Amino acid sequence: MTKYFVGVDIGSLTVKVVLINDGLEILGQLKTRAGYSGKDVATRLKEQLLAESCLTPQRISATVATGYGRVTFPADREVSEITCQAKGISHLFPSSRTIIDIGGQDSKVIKLLPNGRVGDFTMNDKCAAGTGRFLEVMASALEVEWPEIGELVSSSKNPTKISSFCTVFAESEIISQVSAGALKSDILAGVCDSVASRVASMTRRTGLEKDIVFTGGVALNRGVVNALTKQLGYPLLVFQEPVITAALGAALLAREIHKSSI
Amino acid sequence: MQVSQEKRRNYRPLVSSKTLQKTMGRYYALTNYHRYWGKLMRRPLAWVTSGAPVELLRAFNIHSAYPEQYAAIYSARNATVNLCEVAEAAGYSQDLCSYARSNIGGVLRPDLAPLGGMPKPDLLVACNNICGTVLKWYEVLARHFDVPLLVLDTPFLTGELTTQAKEYVLEQLNAMVTDLEKITHRRLDEKKLAQQMSLSREITSLWIETRQYCRASPSPLNAPDLFINMAPIVVLRGSHEGINFYRKLRDEVKERVDLAQGAIENERIRLVWDNIAIWPQLFSFYKMFSEKGACFVTDTYSGGWAVEQAPGTPLESLAATYTEVFLNRSPKYRANQLINLIKEFKADGFVMHSNRSCKPYSLVQEVIRKEVIHETGVPGLMIEADMADPRAYAEEPVRNRVQAFLETFDDL
Repeated sequence: MTKYFVGVDIGSLTVKVVLINDGLEILGQLKTRAGYSGKDVATRLKEQLLAESCLTPQRISATVATGYGRVTFPADREVSEITCQAKGISHLFPSSRTIIDIGGQDSKVIKLLPNGRVGDFTMNDKCAAGTGRFLEVMASALEVEWPEIGELVSSSKNPTKISSFCTVFAESEIISQVSAGALKSDILAGVCDSVASRVASMTRRTGLEKDIVFTGGVALNRGVVNALTKQLGYPLLVFQEPVITAALGAALLAREIHKSSI
Repeated sequence: MQVSQEKRRNYRPLVSSKTLQKTMGRYYALTNYHRYWGKLMRRPLAWVTSGAPVELLRAFNIHSAYPEQYAAIYSARNATVNLCEVAEAAGYSQDLCSYARSNIGGVLRPDLAPLGGMPKPDLLVACNNICGTVLKWYEVLARHFDVPLLVLDTPFLTGELTTQAKEYVLEQLNAMVTDLEKITHRRLDEKKLAQQMSLSREITSLWIETRQYCRASPSPLNAPDLFINMAPIVVLRGSHEGINFYRKLRDEVKERVDLAQGAIENERIRLVWDNIAIWPQLFSFYKMFSEKGACFVTDTYSGGWAVEQAPGTPLESLAATYTEVFLNRSPKYRANQLINLIKEFKADGFVMHSNRSCKPYSLVQEVIRKEVIHETGVPGLMIEADMADPRAYAEEPVRNRVQAFLETFDDL
């Protein structure tokens, strides 16, 4: 009988749930805003995913939880998102050696060993500059919807310079630039450059090794992808659904944990 | 550095901790009641930096108190934030070392400081072998208390100690002797200095021996044990009480090794610690490791006092020993020091505390981390925190990193 495994990633902004089977096929995935209780949202999403796949909870052999809310979620095991991300990405891109993950309030760079295990990692600390939340605040100050960013940025000819690292100060800097008559597209390009520059220096600190995979919600933003590619001087591989790669890793780990327990 | 042992539930408690509490309790009582006996006994009170040549001060019958050590106590007793806020309100930047800030806060508002703050000093002795901050910090204290400040300037060593550097420090020590003779109205007693040097050698060799037992697997001590038990080697170097305590500790640690008793249950990962302890989170932080079977078997911080005296006359020896302290040396020296500890103690990895307060300790850590990983092949984690100010500690990100780091040792 086919076995099923679930990975749950309760992030600071978004909850992601992935269902896989024994044959490593992704059978379904759901994501939504974490809101007040990431745990409740995750529970609901898991139930919904099982219902959509016509599975009862008993058919799930193992569940692994990751992300900031991992401790609260009832799972067979909780694993850090660094290990889960490494597992997910090395499954999707076996040639990857460097992962750049920009999520809601974290940006991290993970160095992968040839066997897909974590060799080293660097994360932002205490400051959310260079993360998804930073981009969100800036986009909201400019009244731009998230999906529009990429297109607007690609039309920019003279990106402005955002010098503040601090999210709050950067927002006031943007407001000053708007008052000074700078174009929305140029300011947004400046914002993307600022995120890319912060993450690029973190990547160099960890050590740059090909292939480089860019993942996390921010990898959906073409503006940042292009800025980061330019700054690093290497092409970046991006999975079609970069938001779910840690949840996928969690599901893969659930499968491994289940296998080693029998 | 003396913290209640009650909180240490998940560790094997040390029987000698009773002696430690008694020894340190007596020291604090003596220090805090100095005003009642200091003048009578003709024993001035000096506030000194942790890297000051106290053997010389003891030879002059000077009683030493350590602002850094009191600052660690303030932190373990959750008083640092209040004291730092006092100093910050007085104009001191949040970027200044939290030991300096909480000490200055305690000077301005002793009522907010545990132990009623520190007793008023008669003189100040600062040696910049540990950092440059102490110079300005002690200048502030000298102005506030209007007492003499003696400074020992130890040049940074990019390689080995040079003859010029040694002579430069020796000359200052000679000048310090003259200053101390004026302050205490006593001549330097050469015999007493030699005796102090000998007692200091003895206590140091006991601390070295105790630490060497941690090469055993399981290790008889974990980082919090090392941090708590380092208090006497810092403040009671050259004293009989200190020696008596370290004999007891050494015997107990040796017995643990003989009985194969580990400091933590089921040691499976052996780690080396770099930088000052995270005092406000001493137990909760290290518990994240011990509950996963990870034990810190040695460290560079409390190991800073496990260094044998340099040869020569007492003053020559002091000049070399205090100039050669590891914080006064090149990143290459410090990387080698960590590499040797990892090999000698058969460690599986290392953890560096990037300490917001301690710039000389922390600024070069990333360079050292890379070098050590390259040379030893073991993983190294960097944690961002502060030795005393809990406002610089973000628990969730720290927990995340620690978990991810420990998972690299598992088969995930």
